[in-house]
Amino acid sequence: MFAAATFLLVHPLRTFGRTALSVARHAGELGLLVWRIGGATLSGRVSLRSVTDQIYEMGVLSFPLVIVTAVLSGVVTSQQGGYQFTGSIPLYVLGSVVASSVVLELGPVMTAFVIIGRVGARITAEIGTMQVSEQIDALLSVGRDPVSVLAAPRLLAGILVMPLLVGIANTVGLFAGLVAARFTVGLGGESFLYGARLFWHSWDLFYSLMKATVFGFVIPLISTDMGFLTWGGAEGVGRATTASVVFMIISILVLDALFPPLFLN
Amino acid sequence: MIEYLDIYKAFDVPVLSGVSLTVETGETLSVVGPSGTGKSVLLKTTLGLIIPDRGDVLIDGRSVYGSDRNALHEIRRQVGYVFQYAALFDSMNVFENVSQGLPDDVLRQLPKRDILRRVCDSLDAVNLDPAAILGKLPAELSGGMRKRVGLARAIVGEPKILLYDEPVTGLDPVNTAAVAHLITEIAERMGVTSIVVTHDIEGALEISDRVGLLDHGRLRFVGTPDEFKHSDDPVVHSFADRHAAAAAALKIMEEP
Repeated sequence: MFAAATFLLVHPLRTFGRTALSVARHAGELGLLVWRIGGATLSGRVSLRSVTDQIYEMGVLSFPLVIVTAVLSGVVTSQQGGYQFTGSIPLYVLGSVVASSVVLELGPVMTAFVIIGRVGARITAEIGTMQVSEQIDALLSVGRDPVSVLAAPRLLAGILVMPLLVGIANTVGLFAGLVAARFTVGLGGESFLYGARLFWHSWDLFYSLMKATVFGFVIPLISTDMGFLTWGGAEGVGRATTASVVFMIISILVLDALFPPLFLN
Repeated sequence: MIEYLDIYKAFDVPVLSGVSLTVETGETLSVVGPSGTGKSVLLKTTLGLIIPDRGDVLIDGRSVYGSDRNALHEIRRQVGYVFQYAALFDSMNVFENVSQGLPDDVLRQLPKRDILRRVCDSLDAVNLDPAAILGKLPAELSGGMRKRVGLARAIVGEPKILLYDEPVTGLDPVNTAAVAHLITEIAERMGVTSIVVTHDIEGALEISDRVGLLDHGRLRFVGTPDEFKHSDDPVVHSFADRHAAAAAALKIMEEP
C-alpha cells in the first residue's frame, strides 16, 4: 500500500524531472550550436558556395510545393469565408478575412510546414546518416569543422529563403483567394481588394516576414542539431528524423502562438 | 611520439579504465582485443573525436585536451585517420573525397591541376587506378576500394601519424593481405607512426613493431610480436587461442 502510494507520488515527479532535464539540456545544446554557428559565420569560415547550394535546395526546389500550398490555403479560406458571410455580412469583408488569414497566419505557418517536411526532415536524416557512418568524425579528422561545413550554411540559407518564400506564398494565396471568391460567391475583384485594403495595416506584412525569418532560423537549427545528436545506425536515423519533425512542428506552433501577444497588441 | 596518459572513458559502464601507452616515432603498434573492449574508443581519443572523462593524449609533446581550437586543428593536420567503414562522404566523388584530406590552405592556394596530381599520387600509392575511379561516388565502389580510398584520403596530406580503425574488417582474404601490405609499405615509405586497431591477430603480428592487448578497458600486454607469441600471461594465451580457433573455423567454412 505504502509502496504503491510512494510510486504514484514519485513516478510523476521523476518523469517531470527527467523531462525538464531533457528540455533544459536540449535548450543548452541549441544555444551552444547557435553560438558556434555565429562564431563560424563572423569569422568567415562558412563557404559562400555551400550557402548558395542550400538556398537552391531550400528555396528553388521547395518553390512548387509552396505555391500549391499557398493556392489551396487561399482558395479554402475564401470558400469557407464566403459560405459563412453569404446573407449575413457584406461580402467585401471576405477580402479582409482572406488577406489577414493568409498574411498573418497561413502564409508563414503553411510554408514552415512545407519546409519542415521537405527540408528539415532531410537535413536531420542526412546529417544523422553522416553521424552514424562516422562521416562527421571524418570531417573532424581532416580538420574541417562540421558546424561551419554543415550547420551554418543551412541556417543562413533558412534565414534568407523563408521570408522570400513566405512573401511569394502570401501573394499567391491572396490572388487564389480573390479568384476563388469570384467563382464561388460571385465577389468581384475590385470589391475583394476594397475589403482587403479596408482593414490592412502595413505592420501585418512586416509581422508576416518576421515570423518567416524566425521560422527560417528555427527549422534548420533544430534539424541540424537533431542530426548531430543521432546515434544507433539506421534505426537511430529514423528515430531522430521523426523526433526532429515532431520537435520542429511543436516549436513552430508554440512560436506562432507567442507572436500575437508579443507583436499584435 | 604519441603518449596516452591515464585515459578513462565510460558510456554508462567503464570502457577504458586508466590506459597509459607510449608509441614511439616511426613505430607501428597494433592494439588487439575482444570486441567492445574500447580499442576504437582509445583510437578516437587520439584526435578528440571522443573526449575521455579523464586523462590526456600528447602528440609530440603537445596536449590534445589542453589545446585551443587552432592548436587542435594543427595537431589534427599531422594525423591521418582510416575509419572502420572508410567513412567516405556520400555526396562527393572519389576526387573530392580524397582532396578533403588536404589542409584548407593547400586547397585554397594550390591550382586545381596540382591538387589533382596529389590526389592521383595518393590513389596510386594505395594501388588504385585514378583514371578509372576519380569520378565515381562511394556507392559505386566495392568495400575494398572504399577502404583504399579512405587510406588515400588519410595520406594525401602527408601526415606524420596514421591511425587505422579495423582496416581489414569486412574484407576478403585477398584484400586483407593487400591492405596489411599497404600499411607496412606506407609506414616504411613515409616514415609515419602508425597505430592499428584490429581484431586480426595474425595480421597484427605480421605488420607491427609492438602489439598491445586491451582487455576489460585495461592494457593487459604490450610487447613485440615475439613476446606476444611467447607470453606467459593466461589472458594473452586465451585470446590468441580463441582467435586461432575462430580463424580455423572460418577457414573450414570458407572451403568449398
